[in-house]
Amino acid sequence: MRNGAEILKLGTLTITWWCIIFGAVWIACYLVGVALPMMLSSYDSDAARMTAETLKALTPILSVLVFIPINAMFMVLIERRALAIFTVRLGPNRVGPDGYLQTAADAVKLLFKEDITPHGADAFMFTLAPIVFFAPSIFGAMPLLAAVTNYHELFQIVNLPTGIFFILAASSVPVVGIVMGGWASNNKYSLVGGLRSAAQAISYEIPLVLSLVTICLLAGSLDVVQIAKQQSGGILNWNILGGGALRGLDAALALKFSNSAPALQELSEKSFDQVLKSSYVEPTMAALGLSAGQESMAGIIAVVAVLVLIAATFIAYGLYMTGACAEINRIPFDLPEAESELVSGYNTEYSGIKFAIFFLAEFTNLFIVASIAAVMFLGGGDCPVPAWLGTMLGGPQLASVINQALTPLIQIKLVDPPTLFAAIWVILKVYSIVFFAVLIRGTLPRFRIDQLMDFGWKRLIPLSLIVFLLVVFAREFVNVHVGS
Amino acid sequence: MEQFEMLKTWAETNVESVMFYILATISIPLAYGVILDRAIIRSGFILIGVFGSICGLFLLLQAQFLALAQLMIYAVGITLVIVIALMLTNPRMERTQLSTAAPANQLGAFMVAVGLFMTIYLSVRPENWTLSSEPLDSANVEVLGRALTTDYSLPFEFASVLLLAALIGAVMLAKAEKPPKPGEDDYEYSVVDDGPTAGDARPDKEPVASGR
Repeated sequence: MRNGAEILKLGTLTITWWCIIFGAVWIACYLVGVALPMMLSSYDSDAARMTAETLKALTPILSVLVFIPINAMFMVLIERRALAIFTVRLGPNRVGPDGYLQTAADAVKLLFKEDITPHGADAFMFTLAPIVFFAPSIFGAMPLLAAVTNYHELFQIVNLPTGIFFILAASSVPVVGIVMGGWASNNKYSLVGGLRSAAQAISYEIPLVLSLVTICLLAGSLDVVQIAKQQSGGILNWNILGGGALRGLDAALALKFSNSAPALQELSEKSFDQVLKSSYVEPTMAALGLSAGQESMAGIIAVVAVLVLIAATFIAYGLYMTGACAEINRIPFDLPEAESELVSGYNTEYSGIKFAIFFLAEFTNLFIVASIAAVMFLGGGDCPVPAWLGTMLGGPQLASVINQALTPLIQIKLVDPPTLFAAIWVILKVYSIVFFAVLIRGTLPRFRIDQLMDFGWKRLIPLSLIVFLLVVFAREFVNVHVGS
Repeated sequence: MEQFEMLKTWAETNVESVMFYILATISIPLAYGVILDRAIIRSGFILIGVFGSICGLFLLLQAQFLALAQLMIYAVGITLVIVIALMLTNPRMERTQLSTAAPANQLGAFMVAVGLFMTIYLSVRPENWTLSSEPLDSANVEVLGRALTTDYSLPFEFASVLLLAALIGAVMLAKAEKPPKPGEDDYEYSVVDDGPTAGDARPDKEPVASGR
């Protein structure tokens, strides 16, 4: 633990920046979505009413626009500092207090640099490419906002019945921007980078989509809010652990340990074994058409099916993370911009604000794929502690103490407790995944292009198809999220 | 209040047609751009714009699933087309070399275009369709999925078999390696400077698989 001091500094930096980012987003949303409409509601005129409604509808867009630049600055900083720790260096620590303002200075520098269009480039396409790369990542992430804020009324407008499909469709557009930038630069390195990115994105989109389809199959829905809601109630209900296959176990444990919980009144007549039996043995018997004497066989089949589901969803999570890493061109899949081979690929010729937009989009994409993972696999804004264990440990008392402390803020509608708790859990989950991606970047070397193709087509795609088939069959024997 | 109500009724009746005209004015010039632009790569990128605005039209018709499928499939699909166009042509040279087609070809192309237009017009003209003013079910993706896996499962499977055949055919075409005739340089290796021993089997210089 010789670098314990550095890790502590990283922790302080993270928490400080979180306060800056989410404080800014929270206050902006509050001003536009709540405070201004409340002030306007005192005027009784059409114009005031319309303005208030428009402001409310614009809140999600505003929150994203405030969030993206600050968040990208933080993510670049945390990435550089964390990589420095992994490689036993110090990292940026000069600008501002302990290097906190390094990336802010970088951003200012990038914005004031001269914007060069190379000779012979297709100027229109050259300018359009960063926009095509960046814009879809903003509007594609919109439905996620409804899921991560626990369906707050200001964000209900961005929810879609086909949420995850919309996110996937929007996230398939940025590759066009890379190819466009690569071609328009009039540079052979850029062109090779663009072509590589097209090949890579198309290959790795298949396992990525198949792993998410597997989860949609277990959830029975494409709506991200519904998928997040189904997983509430602790880690045993999360999609990464069987997509709801452990819900029966959760109910039985809840009965065993805290049968005084008011939510479980209807179960209190049954015993632990009866709950387990009704949630695992009976569905299996119904699915196989077994008679009353074959309960032990049904029990074995149910246990096997549950284990298969857990393994399958866990592998699906791994597949999603691998595919997502490749989609957003992160190490070990950063072949489109491999700086040691292609002098940084598709963005070789970019400078100034256009380069800044490419850079911004890359980090925003990392954040978005991490939030998709958090919503689809890790329960969205759900507390990982199971509800019954939380009750035993005094969760409700803690929540009421926090509510008491926040009462003045709740009264002016600055804080909405369900949204606040959901947001905190989502922030922790998403940045853990981001940190994991940084860890991977510090650990693994880059693939070669033929290894990349082999790995995608010969390993990941067959594996994702196998996982999909296993889930299709195994879910017949167990009660999963679908239909609940 | 009166103004507000008026605005509301106007929006309810007209917003759809206004949006339609906006999308149409975007998509028609872009569609012309696809065939008029001399640089083939640029036409490819413009085509993505055309499909994007058609995606908007589907959204106006409340066909959310179709709109998103349009975006997802064509954005990636056309990127592939562009990549292939890049590999097969030299787009920068072509801009100056393209010349107008011979008059006979122009006439033939015009006839084909008219025939195609007539066929499409006759099949989609409004008399053949029953119109309904019923609001669409909000769970229309579910209905679509159910229909595809029950009533229309056979056509669906046929379509997938067709795609599979196309895929296998493409692999076969790409993999077709002619055995080099004696005395003739193998063109795949001729890029590499082989010196006097050209044509020898050299296992360490296998052609690199293209990145697709």
